[in-house]
Amino acid sequence: MSEALLTALNPSMFWEYRQVLLRGLAFNGYVFVTAGALALAVGLAAALLRLNRAWPFRWVGTLNVETFRNAPDYIMVIWVHFVLPLLLGAAIGRRIEFPPFVSAVIALGFVYSGYFAETFRAGIQSIPAGHIDAGRACGMSERLILRRIVLPQVVRRMLPEAINQFVSLFKATTIVSLIAVPDLMYQVSMVLQQEMKPLPLYTGAALTYFAVIYAVSSLVRLLSERWRNKVYA
Amino acid sequence: MDAVPAIRVVDLRKRFGALEVLRGVSFDVHRGSVVSIIGASGSGKSTLLRCINRLETPSGGEVYIDGEPMGACREGDGSSTPRPLAEINRIRRDLGMVFQQFNLWPHMTALGNVVEAPIRVLGLRRKEAAELGAECLARVHLSEKASEYPARLSGGQQQRVAIARALAMRPKAMLFDEPTSSLDPELTGEVLAVMRELAADGTTMIVVTHEMGFARDASNRVLFLHNGQIEEEGPAEQVFGNPRSERCRQFLSKHLQ
Repeated sequence: MSEALLTALNPSMFWEYRQVLLRGLAFNGYVFVTAGALALAVGLAAALLRLNRAWPFRWVGTLNVETFRNAPDYIMVIWVHFVLPLLLGAAIGRRIEFPPFVSAVIALGFVYSGYFAETFRAGIQSIPAGHIDAGRACGMSERLILRRIVLPQVVRRMLPEAINQFVSLFKATTIVSLIAVPDLMYQVSMVLQQEMKPLPLYTGAALTYFAVIYAVSSLVRLLSERWRNKVYA
Repeated sequence: MDAVPAIRVVDLRKRFGALEVLRGVSFDVHRGSVVSIIGASGSGKSTLLRCINRLETPSGGEVYIDGEPMGACREGDGSSTPRPLAEINRIRRDLGMVFQQFNLWPHMTALGNVVEAPIRVLGLRRKEAAELGAECLARVHLSEKASEYPARLSGGQQQRVAIARALAMRPKAMLFDEPTSSLDPELTGEVLAVMRELAADGTTMIVVTHEMGFARDASNRVLFLHNGQIEEEGPAEQVFGNPRSERCRQFLSKHLQ
């Protein structure tokens, strides 16, 4: 093997800087969790709007889904961090700035809400109308039916698809270094300025992401399969 | 006969677009009596039942539960306004409904299905609800299946759980929408047996059914529906023994073979 290849694959430098790098990885985790929660909440709201009987609601829901599902996350992160504050500032006549973390969460949260909205919508539509009739016949309110009958079933049905989207979201958190959120990739670029050896660091980062995503998603998949099988055996 | 019927249906009409499914249906169901509704597919039987508890909104007419109009609130000055959904939900509690497709909630156990509405709608405490649930499951002879999920029950067992779920709300009347139509003949018997027990206990029931044996033996009155109207109506012996309408006679001769 050539020396260049050996250097590129040598993880020892990554190990040397592991503390600062893993601190960066924690930031990926923070962005993932908060953006994921935002994406779920906005996605559910958009799905319910799209399923509403009144067309203005449906229209707002569709606008949300189509806008964010078709926006590249890379551009959204930059746009939310640099352009949105200018727009809002012009609207209220005051200078606004978002902390990078907040911009990252808003951008990724909304982009992924577009995907989650469609997953929720498909899940809700897959619930047999009879289950809802049965709730109504028992005198349950629409809100209670949604909370107790529809959503618990939707969550079970959408889990495999949602896990894929969460994996994508976690991978997407690697771009938040663009706006100086101190995540793993950001720390890698900091270390690079001293060491000038990018390839081993990138290899190390790639292996770290792979290990984390593979371990967590396998575990979640296993647990969710067990949980689903218990009910639909 | 008591003065105010448990359910009074007056000139009930329902159209879906150009299709007129119910064309002015009126009848009373007195407390403790069983009314069976028979008729060919598409005659409006299920729609009639679904209009009674307002799973479908009627296009005209009114349904009175214990004298209370379901679709309208009467104001003090005698005028009436459409009843808000929350009020309709309140009245619906008094009408237990059993569906052709059972419609059990698959993510809850049998007991969970039965106690859900008593806890969430009636506000019963968990312990009270569990006792009530056990009592209702015992009435349908399924005490030992309380902790099973619906997917692990046979069709007949699922339908009996659905009956228990409706009974748990202590309704004033039970509505059965072809409760045995999606069951094998051998499973039909166990569901009909439970329904006969309920009838014998004095439960007020409206039963849409293709089970002519049940309609003849277990009901006080039988309605024969044709094209969204009541074509023949009377005590079971009369409708089955000596129907006046030719259509009813033909229908029965086909179904009683």
